[in-house]
Amino acid sequence: MSVLCIENLTFSYANRTVLDQFSLTIPLTGMTAISGPSGCGKTTLLRLLAGLEKPVLGTITGISQKRIAILFQEDRLLPWRTVREHILDVLPNDRSEDADGWLTFAELEDSADLYPAELSGGMARRLALARCCALGGELLLLDEPFAGVDAARRTRIIERLSSQRVPMLLATHEPDVVEACQRQIILDGPPLQIVSH
Amino acid sequence: MQIRIPSAAHFLTTDIIMQNSRPVHRFRNKCVRILIPLIFWLGIWQIAAMTAGFQLLLPTPVAVIRVLLGLAATASFWQSIVLSLGRVLCGLILGCVLGCALAVLTWRFRWADLLFSPVIRVIRATPVVSFILLVYLWVARADIPEVISALMVMPVIWNSLRTGLETADRQLLEMAKAYRFSPLKTLRLIWLPSLRPHLASGLSTGLGLAWKSGIAAEVICPPRYAIGTELSKAKTALQSPKLYAWTVTIVILSLTLESVLKWVLRPRQKDSGDREKT
Repeated sequence: MSVLCIENLTFSYANRTVLDQFSLTIPLTGMTAISGPSGCGKTTLLRLLAGLEKPVLGTITGISQKRIAILFQEDRLLPWRTVREHILDVLPNDRSEDADGWLTFAELEDSADLYPAELSGGMARRLALARCCALGGELLLLDEPFAGVDAARRTRIIERLSSQRVPMLLATHEPDVVEACQRQIILDGPPLQIVSH
Repeated sequence: MQIRIPSAAHFLTTDIIMQNSRPVHRFRNKCVRILIPLIFWLGIWQIAAMTAGFQLLLPTPVAVIRVLLGLAATASFWQSIVLSLGRVLCGLILGCVLGCALAVLTWRFRWADLLFSPVIRVIRATPVVSFILLVYLWVARADIPEVISALMVMPVIWNSLRTGLETADRQLLEMAKAYRFSPLKTLRLIWLPSLRPHLASGLSTGLGLAWKSGIAAEVICPPRYAIGTELSKAKTALQSPKLYAWTVTIVILSLTLESVLKWVLRPRQKDSGDREKT
């Protein structure tokens, strides 16, 4: 079984150290929940893993950053693209017929022709999640994937997510999402530290 | 027989329906909005001209329209219009290309910003007449209107596009990078839609400037066939109705161009981001 290995990772924003010699090993299978108080550094850790921030020190091994897909904490939807176009934008041309499947995954089949401004917060979040999953990769980093999504839908989408064969790292606060994951890492900080693993 | 007098509320309701409903009503409202002020001001002009009684200073609108109709029947009138329009549009295009290139360059490279931004600001602050006289020393007379229009348009486009580049959503650009969008896809899906309103506003201002400065250049350095040349000739010959007729032509052309540009750059339904959430 392959593992994602983080060793002595150090990172700071201006004068604020977020990660100081942080090390962690995560098996690259199933769903792993990372939780902790707001501002402890979960998002920064995901951004470092995705290669969006450069660490001052330390290494990340076990996976190529080019094969990682990240769901940002914000939806980051394009106001001028419809729901369906958002999915099509990340799918390769030869897989465009998969778009309907991803819309069903996020329960957005009836909203395919709407623009982001016409979506509720929960719908926009589901679209962002579907887009990230449609992009795919060897590891999905999901930052608060169910923010604003109602409990019933969340349960159904978690089921669909867990049936994907891609390893996932979810930064989340929702207890039912944590429960659905195979393992949980509780963090605290800053600087980021492991409370339980 | 009983005659039913409609109440004020009836008129009010009808008026509201007229304002909000079908395209026919909207067109009618638009006509009313244009025609009433036009008739009012033409009336004021007519009364003022009749009171002054001195055609050289203030000809009547009727006299001006008569001269305008006479001019419209000549080939040189249309020739002057087409050539002036061509010069101004060439200048506009040249100014846009230069403005866009410099905006990207000064936004992307610090050295370019350091070198070019002060020069562009100086060009923006220089009076158009100074430029016309300076350019006259360097450029063939027939090309001066294009060069002047381009010089006036370039700083406006530069400023609009530069603002657009600086205020583009960094989060969307980061998303494009993280989701492995190609540079062409990022340009098509993020840059162009983000820059569109800035370009539209710059083009709208630029067109007016190009038109006014181009005609001014034609007046000062008259080419063979040009609106500015005709204005200059009418002034020299003290033909006030002709001078007014050409001015009216310029105003009509300017408003028409502005409307065409507004229609071309109108925001599509999908561009609006202010719709209600469901």
